[in-house]
Amino acid sequence: MEADSDVALDILITNVVCVFRTRCHLNLRKIALEGANVIYKRDVGKVLMKLRKPRITATIWSSGKVICTGATSEEEAKFGARRLARSLQKLGFQVIFTDFKVVNVLAVCNMPFEIRLPEFTKNNRPHASYEPELHPAVCYRIKTLRATLQIFSTGSITVTGPNVKAVASAVEQIYPFVFESRK
Amino acid sequence: MPGGRVCAACGCSEIEVDAARGDAVCTGCGSVLEDNIIVSEVQFVENSAGKTPTLGGGFHANLGKESRAQTLQNGKRQIHHLGNQLQLNQHCLDTAFNFFKMAVSKHLTRGRKMTHVIAACLYLVCRTEGTPHMLLDLSDLLQVNVYVLGKTFLLLARELCINAPAIDPCLYIPRFAHMLEFGDKNHEVSMTALRLLQRMKRDWMHTGRRPSGLCGAALLVAARMHDFRRTVKEVIRVVKVCESTLRKRLTEFEDTPTSQLTIDEFMKIDLEEECDPPSFTAGQKKLKIQQLEKALSKKLEDFEGEITSYQDEIEIELENSRPKAKGVFANFTKDDCIEDNTSSLLGEEEAEDEELEAAANHLNKDFYNELHEKDSVKKGEGGECKNGNEAFVRPPALESLLGPLPTAASLGITESIKECISTKDREPGENTGDGELDLSGIDDNEIDRYILNETEAQIKAELWMKENADYLKEQKEKEARIAKEKELGIYKEHKPKKSAKKREPIQASTAGEAIEKMLEQKKISSKINYNVLRDLNSKGSSTPKKEDDSTDDSTNTKKLSRRKSIANRNIANPVNSVGKRLRPLISTQLAKKAATEEVTFQNAQAEAPDIEKPAAVVVESGPVAYNPDEEVEEEEIEDDDDHCMSALQLMGGNGKLGCCLNY
Repeated sequence: MEADSDVALDILITNVVCVFRTRCHLNLRKIALEGANVIYKRDVGKVLMKLRKPRITATIWSSGKVICTGATSEEEAKFGARRLARSLQKLGFQVIFTDFKVVNVLAVCNMPFEIRLPEFTKNNRPHASYEPELHPAVCYRIKTLRATLQIFSTGSITVTGPNVKAVASAVEQIYPFVFESRK
Repeated sequence: MPGGRVCAACGCSEIEVDAARGDAVCTGCGSVLEDNIIVSEVQFVENSAGKTPTLGGGFHANLGKESRAQTLQNGKRQIHHLGNQLQLNQHCLDTAFNFFKMAVSKHLTRGRKMTHVIAACLYLVCRTEGTPHMLLDLSDLLQVNVYVLGKTFLLLARELCINAPAIDPCLYIPRFAHMLEFGDKNHEVSMTALRLLQRMKRDWMHTGRRPSGLCGAALLVAARMHDFRRTVKEVIRVVKVCESTLRKRLTEFEDTPTSQLTIDEFMKIDLEEECDPPSFTAGQKKLKIQQLEKALSKKLEDFEGEITSYQDEIEIELENSRPKAKGVFANFTKDDCIEDNTSSLLGEEEAEDEELEAAANHLNKDFYNELHEKDSVKKGEGGECKNGNEAFVRPPALESLLGPLPTAASLGITESIKECISTKDREPGENTGDGELDLSGIDDNEIDRYILNETEAQIKAELWMKENADYLKEQKEKEARIAKEKELGIYKEHKPKKSAKKREPIQASTAGEAIEKMLEQKKISSKINYNVLRDLNSKGSSTPKKEDDSTDDSTNTKKLSRRKSIANRNIANPVNSVGKRLRPLISTQLAKKAATEEVTFQNAQAEAPDIEKPAAVVVESGPVAYNPDEEVEEEEIEDDDDHCMSALQLMGGNGKLGCCLNY
């Protein structure tokens, strides 16, 4: 943690994925016809609706389940989801906004130093896995947080986790290990 | 022997088949009718490892065994098949088979193609042994996407808790060097390439890169150093990377200071300094460019500031030089124009303070300048009264000027302040979680824009129809087909398979009848020792046994009787579960088992009455114990003791041994 306070690491959240349910059956065809920003994928049975204001792409199923991706923060995700529900309401469906849950958060972080990946993998055996033939980054999984980090040799780290807090704590956790194997 | 075959060329029917060469030749004209004849004989060939495995044999191995044993045997065969193609030695293959057994016991083969799992096991062995085999080789052999294999491999390594040591590109060098055919100098070129690789490692070129790419680059340079002309294409074919990758590695190496050394120098000297990884330097370059851009933009802003100030001054001058109205009316016009300005300010939705101030300044300047100019102009004309008028008018004009401005500002600000306060109030209210849709902060107008009107909807519908015409066609055809089939009455609904078959409940008056009927329905299991059942049955009740004896062949009778005796004991339980539920419930009884048949037989016999007394629980200790001859018993041995199972299998299935070990 001390090391963390020395360097102000910017953790940029690039994507937040959330789900919610409308508790009512949605007629995809109607949405497709009357929505201005809608792609209807009939073969898989879903409708893609894109909002501009919080830049969000939502996948809507006829069962009423909706997945929202593309938001840059949790609040924005919720806001976008509500807007989406509102627009569905306007189209005439009896929409109830329930079960909102943030499912996945993707963030990017940059370390000011490079990292020796083979050394890092050796020191963190069970959690880290490195296959240079397949992917140039080390894949480090933290089971307790259910977070996965991809650590590149340039020092940039991509973190995915169930919420923003988990992501932040994952970065904090990994910092000392990464610091050990720095160049 | 092709009986009755006639030569196509000469019509002669005397055709000689040579099994050794695999040819079928006409003795009349000598034309070859067939070559590479496939035969199903068993042949022996000598292996490079000195062993003589059989070719064409081993087809009979999988009959009549339990699923687990079959899986393992199948796996073993596939491992050997793949392993031989990769030229792995026997030790590696055995290790791979062990990995496979572990995987099967952990149910990792479920939901995955057997070939993938086997390839993953083999690759794991390659990694742990350090053989120069790449995942790419395996995927080449299997024609499978390398990433799919990689995924399986990673999963396997994780589940089996096996740490595969990281790949060293140095491992691949001898292999690739051999393929590039350097002849006598093979060793020297390899050594040079190794040195190059080590240098690359120190220069941070190897992290995150495919080892084969680095090898390729190193070998290329090494070859050139020793006067071998190997083109990029040749190297690529051997190393299996893309041309651009190779070139990129070469350029990266060029950037390092080592590239400046001559050949001799390189062999002798080792530079101390280490370089940054190439992607890092690229990133640094980007950062620098960004910083430069920022600095530039800042400078631009400064310049712009200057320019605007110049612009203002010019405008002021221009206005001053314009002809102005005289007298009292002048003030009115000025007031109007000032008020226009203020009103325009009011009209702006987001009037920033700075803008207001700047505008106010400008207006003040203009006003004052104009006033001064006017004074100077009008001084010339004279008319103190006018001056006095103007003088009197000036303060109120000022006030009027200053008056609206602050109020405009204040008005604008209060509105925004109100909004801010109101949004803050709304925010805590959002987290109601009732399920009601909270409409705060949602601009309905904007959302309305998202909804198309009728004409737009029509147009969109047409477009969509055109785009998805193919899919719609398919759907229609499918429906038409289904309708036809329905008419014809042969409509098959392809529902997902149900795992359990539902049978009619058997209605019988006695237990014996019930058993008979059940047996008729159900297929006979190979897992039960019917002999034993029959004998047991004789002790229990006589009727079922008599019925048994009258039925079919020896094996069948045995099985039937066995079944019936089992059923006899546990009428309540469905006999379907016979095979699988055997072991867990038998432990106590089996513990008493002795090695010999008779003893166990007797034991079971003794136990039989005991068993009947408690609950009608599955009791198949009898069959398991009695006939060790039956290969059948091996199947009972399941997940727990893999080691034992494999030993069993290898030894060809000695039931006794297996049973003892297991229990």
